[in-house]
Amino acid sequence: MAVIRLGYVHVRVTDLAQARQHYQETLGMDPVHEEDGRVYLKSWDEDDHHSVVLEEGGVGLVKFGYKVTGDGTLDAIETRARSFGASCERMSKGDNAGVGDGLRVTLPSDHVLELYSDVEYLGTNVGKLNPAPWPRGLRGIGVPRINHALITTEDPALLERFFQDVLAFRPAERLVAGDEDSDLVGSWMYCGDQPHDIAFVKGANGKLHHFAYEVDDWSALLRAGDVMSMDDVPIDFGPARHGITRGGTIYFFDPSGNRNEVFSGGYRTGPDFRPITWTMDQAARGINYTHREIDQAFLEVVT
Amino acid sequence: MPRVTVVPHDVRVQARPGESVVDALRRAGWRSRYRCRRGGCGVCKVPLVEGRVDYPQPVAESVLAAAERDSGLCLPCRAVPVTDVVVDLGAEPLRAVLASTALPRTGFSRTTEQEGR
Ligand code: FES
Ligand SMILES: [Fe+2]
Repeated sequence: MAVIRLGYVHVRVTDLAQARQHYQETLGMDPVHEEDGRVYLKSWDEDDHHSVVLEEGGVGLVKFGYKVTGDGTLDAIETRARSFGASCERMSKGDNAGVGDGLRVTLPSDHVLELYSDVEYLGTNVGKLNPAPWPRGLRGIGVPRINHALITTEDPALLERFFQDVLAFRPAERLVAGDEDSDLVGSWMYCGDQPHDIAFVKGANGKLHHFAYEVDDWSALLRAGDVMSMDDVPIDFGPARHGITRGGTIYFFDPSGNRNEVFSGGYRTGPDFRPITWTMDQAARGINYTHREIDQAFLEVVT
Repeated sequence: MPRVTVVPHDVRVQARPGESVVDALRRAGWRSRYRCRRGGCGVCKVPLVEGRVDYPQPVAESVLAAAERDSGLCLPCRAVPVTDVVVDLGAEPLRAVLASTALPRTGFSRTTEQEGR
């Protein structure tokens, strides 16, 4: 009975044609479904119907979805969410193309989180029988899958408690300004054995800092940077290593200004992992271990 | 070509047709305050002191509200001057950079992009 992974991110874009160019040709995702003003996309190594939805009009996060196991997890989460005091409602098959019945929760941070176990299976682009390690004819970066999202919240301690109590996530790394609960600045939390499946830092409610794609390794990351240069994608920072999660990173922006990341590596966690603490005087190193310096605006810039 | 004047620095550059204020400055070797350069984050938002700009790319109301436009604010990373303009970048200094403009998407090209600096 558990949350499995980040399933999809649904974002607003100011211009759908330009967004498609970015997500399909630069990142290399495949469109799987279209309806008015929306495109649903899947990366090549993902099994499920889609992992990104682009919706024309505005900028920022509409909602995101986490896939859960099918053994009564939704009922259990609903009970716990209600006793936590979060508002939730059942969502129906067809609310999202390819996704079945599920649960829609409004987080204490005002973000809309959807949970589901029933989703149309499309399969990876290499199949399950004697598969090749990667498909021929990838476009651009050729991202294999999405990995995590980072959102902002006015009350990181409250949101951490929500993810812990309601969704059984655990913190892998915590950024703290002091010893009090209210001193929590950010938390990187996992549901399986990644260093993070969700992260949040202190900031405005309801906002998206970035969502990330996983790539194989450091050299895939550098190659991703080459493609970004070819396509004149604005880089926020990187390639660099994160102190927090130890992953490799490049942060960049889509044509509407939503921040994306390509992320590689990171250690493994698991149910017995003890959380790591970062103090504010080392926050720059935590975020950018290589350069040890980040712009003040980095954490504040969200869509 | 419309002229872009930045105050209080009193830097003047020419904007090419269709070029945003930020891109015109970058081509001339100046980095102003920006983050996403795609109209999403609002970091570049400053007063437009004089002149008119156009937004060929749609800009989200949540980033630059109509009321803000009316009150004289602009989004330099997306604002394309239609007349000579003056923007007030405030206290934050311009930083000298050597920035490369976007390349044509396919392979080799004879287009020269050299007259800018
Ligand atoms: S730099 Fe992000 S809106 Fe202009
Ligand atoms: Fe990340």
